[in-house]
Amino acid sequence: MTDLELELRDLAAHLDVPPAPHLLGVVLARVASRRRRRRGLIFAVAIGFAALAVAFAVPGSRASLLRFFHLGGATVTLVDSLPPLESRGSLGQPIPLGSAPFRLLLPSERRPQQVYAGDGGYWLRYPGLLLFELESGPGTEIIKKAALGKTDVEYVDVDGEPGIWIGGRHAVYLPGGKPRAAGHVLIWKHDRLTLRLEAAVGREQALGIARSVR
Amino acid sequence: MQTPGEEALIERASRGDPTAFEELVLAYQSLAFRTAFVIAGDAADAEEAAQDGFVKAHRALGRFRPGEPFRPWLLAIVANEARNRRRARGRRAALVLRAEAEPRASGEDPEEAALGSERRERLLTAVEGLRDDDRDVLACRYFLDLSEEETAAALGIARGTVKSRTHRALSRLQEELR
Repeated sequence: MTDLELELRDLAAHLDVPPAPHLLGVVLARVASRRRRRRGLIFAVAIGFAALAVAFAVPGSRASLLRFFHLGGATVTLVDSLPPLESRGSLGQPIPLGSAPFRLLLPSERRPQQVYAGDGGYWLRYPGLLLFELESGPGTEIIKKAALGKTDVEYVDVDGEPGIWIGGRHAVYLPGGKPRAAGHVLIWKHDRLTLRLEAAVGREQALGIARSVR
Repeated sequence: MQTPGEEALIERASRGDPTAFEELVLAYQSLAFRTAFVIAGDAADAEEAAQDGFVKAHRALGRFRPGEPFRPWLLAIVANEARNRRRARGRRAALVLRAEAEPRASGEDPEEAALGSERRERLLTAVEGLRDDDRDVLACRYFLDLSEEETAAALGIARGTVKSRTHRALSRLQEELR
């Protein structure tokens, strides 16, 4: 390599290149939007053949998929009506903090009141706050359904990691469980973990708590 | 060639697995943005080009040939988007040097630091004065550290053209800096 080529390499290290923006949320939303449009087209053709039969075969059970958000082990779909929901039951089996197979992350390094193994992951209970930690893997997806127009759903940034904020009542399907009612929730990724924070706080406060989770 | 893990990711993403595509975006978003930025010279254009590049790559995944290197394939899409934006703008925004730390703070000799900085300024001005096709080849080879094959794929030209343009651009730079 000549001196000039070495100088060009050195120059690269001194260029004022802005930090890369976080593209994931926008890219996924655009891909999802395109997929919806394509599905819409397929549905339109299919409906041309079978609309009446379907409408009469399943009266009252239609909850059309209108939009979805995806993040690691979680998918949020916006539907026009929520299914019947049960209130939350037991969180699972109480266990000592250190007995999970991976290191559980804690908000502001605070120890939880109790840890439970349940729903395919681990629940950390704090006063007024629940944190659920789930290791990504087959069959470990959190599915949520939120009512269109009644619940805010948006992609957010949690310290450079992608997240989804769900502001309002929605249905949550934890791995292997029945749909339950849930309130304000923030979901985000941290390496191989999908974290879900549920608390009666607003978006900014939830983001603040999430950013303190280490 | 990509790693076996990446090959599996691409295969899953092309079958519609959103988690796999997500991992590809996370792995390449920084390089995609940097590539678009050195070509377009503008952060907003670069962000749009990188975004559009990923969306188009997702659409084209079904046509991606298994075993082919993914990085240059993706960068070709992103670079094309960046060039389109540069063309639409009618001019290229020039790259600039980062403000350096005070030489005293970095422990560097102040005189040497000043000379180095001046030399880099001259070199960057000379690079920015090149024709777009020559400048793009140098940006890919030396600013992005792409190989000749990757540069050829990213810019949609033959490998021999990369060699000849690099040679031509370096000669012009030498003359300019004399």
